[in-house]
Amino acid sequence: MFRSQQLALKYFAAAMTLFGIMVVAGLLASTYYIHDGFLLNTLDFSVAKMLHIDTMIIWLLMGFIGSVYWFLPIELERETEGIKLAEVLFWIFCAAVAVVAAVFILVQYGPATEMSLWFINQGRKYVEAPRWAAIGITLVVLVFVYNVVATAIKAKKITGIIGVLMVDLIPLFGLYLIAFPSITNLSEDQYWWWWLVHLWVEATWEILIGCIMALALMQLLGTARRIVETWLYIEVALVLGTGILGLGHHYFWIGTPDYWLSIGGFFSALEPLPLLGMVVHAVYDAGAHRMKTTNKPAFFWVMAEAFGNFIGGGVFGFMMTLPQINLFTHGTQWTVSHGHFAFWGAYGCGVIAVIYLALQKSRACEQLDGTVWKWSFALLNIGLVGMVGALLVAGIAQAFYERAMGGSTLQAFMQGQANVWFVQGMVMRVIFGVIFAVGYVALMYDLLTIGKRRVAVAGVKPRVARGPA
Amino acid sequence: MTAEQMLGTSLLLGAFVLLAGCYGLLYCLGRLRASRRLGRAAAAAYLLQGITAGLLALSSLDLWWKALLLASFVAFVAIPPLTWRFLERLHEPQEHHS
Repeated sequence: MFRSQQLALKYFAAAMTLFGIMVVAGLLASTYYIHDGFLLNTLDFSVAKMLHIDTMIIWLLMGFIGSVYWFLPIELERETEGIKLAEVLFWIFCAAVAVVAAVFILVQYGPATEMSLWFINQGRKYVEAPRWAAIGITLVVLVFVYNVVATAIKAKKITGIIGVLMVDLIPLFGLYLIAFPSITNLSEDQYWWWWLVHLWVEATWEILIGCIMALALMQLLGTARRIVETWLYIEVALVLGTGILGLGHHYFWIGTPDYWLSIGGFFSALEPLPLLGMVVHAVYDAGAHRMKTTNKPAFFWVMAEAFGNFIGGGVFGFMMTLPQINLFTHGTQWTVSHGHFAFWGAYGCGVIAVIYLALQKSRACEQLDGTVWKWSFALLNIGLVGMVGALLVAGIAQAFYERAMGGSTLQAFMQGQANVWFVQGMVMRVIFGVIFAVGYVALMYDLLTIGKRRVAVAGVKPRVARGPA
Repeated sequence: MTAEQMLGTSLLLGAFVLLAGCYGLLYCLGRLRASRRLGRAAAAAYLLQGITAGLLALSSLDLWWKALLLASFVAFVAIPPLTWRFLERLHEPQEHHS
């Protein structure tokens, strides 16, 4: 195994740990809605929510970085250039994340001074990490970019996938720089902040996961390079074509000119079209290979990604993206429902699929199957669908009673929060959140013990999968 | 837009895309299994999507959005067969090899 792949396994371990912290913080954050005053002045809602969404960003980012470190030496047939630096930065990255989390939990907030921005919290959702840590993340990404580009140059080989990846890394790095400024005009601040959040999530990350999935499909199903690369180019064109100006749907109601309503609505309406193409591709691949693979968990997680992306991003997004509807749904639990489903479908499932692929190789398992992964797959997905369903009900109640009927007054807000549909939606969200958490435990058990426990594969006598060479 | 109109329209919009997904999925399964029944089910899903588009045309959405929805309804019909044909052509040399 290459050192780059050993580093990838460390990144995967860190990603899955952060995934667990995200789940715990999410459960905490959801409990505040059903128990007023829960952990008040000890660990306020704002802190739990911050931990939840920041760890979500970081676990996915670590998953992506790990995936690239895993596939890069296979793709370019050589060790990753600058791997020592990457290894050092991995530990710095982990230490920085731990310190930031500790500051969030223990210090929480500070005075409105530069010192707070540098050492406590930058105060911008999703990128709250204090400035010193944000600089650290920038360094990690910069070294990651160097690793990819330098390895390709040294190998004198730029495949189609690596070419797309290299171009994609420029905005991945560049857009993060928007995390730094502290603009005092809220509209202006939101305007640029959405560049980071939307263009990372609906453009840069989409391309990144597209590259990772292309590499994964070659390993998982033995799909020809020509096929995955052609499909990747089409996906890049469609995702960027609809996704970049789809940015406009975040520009509703933040003080931007009203032409953004038309631009945002139009391009958002086009976004489900490429997602449907991806569903067709997934079904075609599943049929072409007659569901036969040596790594069933990875295969099912790849399938879950195609469908999750379509339903979470396409269906749930389209329900609320046209400006006339969005006027009422913006910023309600309805949005939260869409966000949960879309992130899980588009990215979470893909990262888990790659981790299964990597573990199969690193632990030299000829075939991956069994029962535990099925439990984790079912519990995580049932938990997730239940959560987003409950959030949807709560969000509809908010949009209906608080916004459309109540006119968004403070009184309407309070009535909306007390509405029976909202309250029950929030209770159901916690219940399904617990199911999701149990699925996470099963997933971790499976990942930790793959290749180390007895496995039963259909038609094959139970045997001990071979351990690491 | 009243509260009732907002709720009805948003649910129709969700159903519109969901039915497009059902149409795509059933179309693919029909092709995979060479099943006429699944093919008819795909056509039924597309028909339901058409009904949804019709109901949306009667909603209180602006004319511009209604036109966009009708245009995308027409576009949706072509996506599964075109993608499928493209994928078949793309996979052909590999299948000949194996």
